[in-house]
Amino acid sequence: MALQLRLKGREHSIEIVARRPELVLRIDGVEHRVAVMPGAVMLDGRAYLFDEGVTGDRHFVRIDGRTFDLEAVDPDLEEEAAAGGLDVIRAPMPGAVVSLAKAEGDQVRRGETVLTIESMKLQTALTAPRDGVIERIVRQEGQTFDKDEAVVLLVPLEEDAREQTS
Amino acid sequence: MKRIRSMIDTAGAEFRRNTEHNRRVVAEFREKQEAARHKRPQRDLDRLSKQGKMRPRERIEKLLDPGTPFLELSSLAANMAYGGESPSASSIVGIGVVSGREVLIRADDPSVKGGAWYPLTAKKIVRALDIAMENRLPVIHLCDSAGGFLPLQAEVFPDRYMAGRIFRNQSILSKMGVKQLSLVFGHCTAGGAYIPGLSDYSVIVRGTGAVFLGGPPLVKAATGEEVTVEELGGADMHTSVSGTCDYPARSEEDAIRIGREIVAQWDQERKWDCQREAPEAPAYDPVELYGIIPDDIKKQFDMREVIARIVDGSRFHEYQPNYGKTLICGYANIWGFKVGILANNGVLFNDSSLKGAHFIELCNQNATPLVFLQNITGYMIGREYERQGITKDGAKMIMAQSCSRVPKFTVMCNGSFGAGNYGMCGRAFDGRFLFSWPNHQIGVMGGDQAAKTLVDVKVSQMKRAGQEPDQAVLDKVYEDTRKAYLEQLSAYYSTSELWDDGILDPVDTRNALGVAISASLNAPLGDSGYGVFRF
Repeated sequence: MALQLRLKGREHSIEIVARRPELVLRIDGVEHRVAVMPGAVMLDGRAYLFDEGVTGDRHFVRIDGRTFDLEAVDPDLEEEAAAGGLDVIRAPMPGAVVSLAKAEGDQVRRGETVLTIESMKLQTALTAPRDGVIERIVRQEGQTFDKDEAVVLLVPLEEDAREQTS
Repeated sequence: MKRIRSMIDTAGAEFRRNTEHNRRVVAEFREKQEAARHKRPQRDLDRLSKQGKMRPRERIEKLLDPGTPFLELSSLAANMAYGGESPSASSIVGIGVVSGREVLIRADDPSVKGGAWYPLTAKKIVRALDIAMENRLPVIHLCDSAGGFLPLQAEVFPDRYMAGRIFRNQSILSKMGVKQLSLVFGHCTAGGAYIPGLSDYSVIVRGTGAVFLGGPPLVKAATGEEVTVEELGGADMHTSVSGTCDYPARSEEDAIRIGREIVAQWDQERKWDCQREAPEAPAYDPVELYGIIPDDIKKQFDMREVIARIVDGSRFHEYQPNYGKTLICGYANIWGFKVGILANNGVLFNDSSLKGAHFIELCNQNATPLVFLQNITGYMIGREYERQGITKDGAKMIMAQSCSRVPKFTVMCNGSFGAGNYGMCGRAFDGRFLFSWPNHQIGVMGGDQAAKTLVDVKVSQMKRAGQEPDQAVLDKVYEDTRKAYLEQLSAYYSTSELWDDGILDPVDTRNALGVAISASLNAPLGDSGYGVFRF
């Protein structure tokens, strides 16, 4: 899988094409021959002065006297943001509904508490998997359920999107 | 390793409510700890200064290398025993650095009943020496004790894990090649005399230090002989005539100076080669733990949020993220040391138990120390789960955990009820260190459950006796049971009885684990292998 890097807000994809006899990278669709040596990199036969430093998630590289701030793009995060989560809240363990924080038709934001359940002396807040609208509350206060049973349904994603745009 | 992405809303109402609650809980803990450390009757303090003695914590302060951390253990031992008469169980224990070497320091506290040993004092010292053995830590004893607290001798003296065990442990430590030094500041009477007697090195302060099996009054009563303290067991007699002690010291400061010089001669245990990286502070502020720990023990919280505030860079490699999700397993670094973490995110099901057992095996194979973060109400019960073999799956986890060859550390974060305590390396499972947070509760079941169970028992008793169940009586049984349970469930009771190695302010967890893991690496890994797993 191509590595995605973000530089000045733009994403670039980098793929390793060959490691031997020399390193070949495909950067944004164009192949380059690369060699790394102490204090410099060779790119297609030309040498550039090179240095790098890392603090936390930020990656700084210095090339021929200019400094660039690079950020690796986390594919999991991108995927999550794009897919937006599920239409169903399922019970992580068997138990009973203690209280409902939302009613059918209510808007919810991702991570917001929808209901609280109790199982084995432990109360757990179940949260919305994505922004959306509550379609149906399957288990009401005091009602019991088994593990993995659906307890709350959200309006399916496409309808939801239509509703929100209309 | 990827950073944990916190889902906590630090501006939300719940976060604020939890923070207020937990700041109160921690303030109460700090207050109790401060009192146990420093609050003494003026009379006792005056007596010490009249004798020209330092307080025990001053002695420790002067002994330690300046600017190095000192991890005090069990500072609230005995806080709920003997009517509070024995703060910190009349004894100070901790891990620190002296002359560049990691050591265990154990000090008598002469500001409490002349430093007499209560039953829990003996328990605390035995535990301290167990820690020294398990982690191969040299021991420095700061001796100043009148001996066993006579009114409670039956609980101090005779049994296997009572005072005798101290001297047994000292002997075994020596056999293992773990060094011991005694600095004799005050009297070492009766059994206490064996502490310098069984140390490799001992320093004794002229004028105040004394070592003897029986003090002058006992000698007079036994044989009629009249003798002074100095003649019977003073510094000059022992360092020039009997050879029981090695170095006379002019003063307490002088004794500490000589002691530091002795330690500087010691070779150092080579630590085993735990994987490590350059330490990195957590990306999320540990202070936010106050907003994450719930204000009600029954409320569930995501233990990933806790992990994010303990480990280096808040980075966590989660193992099997989609399987057995009520037990979080994964790798992280704490102060650079690679560890495998097991943390409860709900009840243990069959799959979470299997995942835990498997992950423990991986850590043993990979020589990765284990950290258990407990918040557990037990293994799942019910017909469905028994049919799936929840008992034998829990047994696998207990087997893997018990037989681990890597060092184990446990932090009691919120609740520990029933058999979940066992699988998650409770006190009985020989973890190197076990710490509790002040909000923590532990017991075979919660107070409400116990009270309900006993009310049911009472009702059937009354019915059998042909009586109509009396609601007033039942209410009283319920309330009494609940109250008694609540007291015994609390972290303060737990630490009073030395079921842990001390209560921690949650914010200090990372540092305490750092010191503990570093200490644990002095001892080689244990033997590989397990018993029979029931599949």
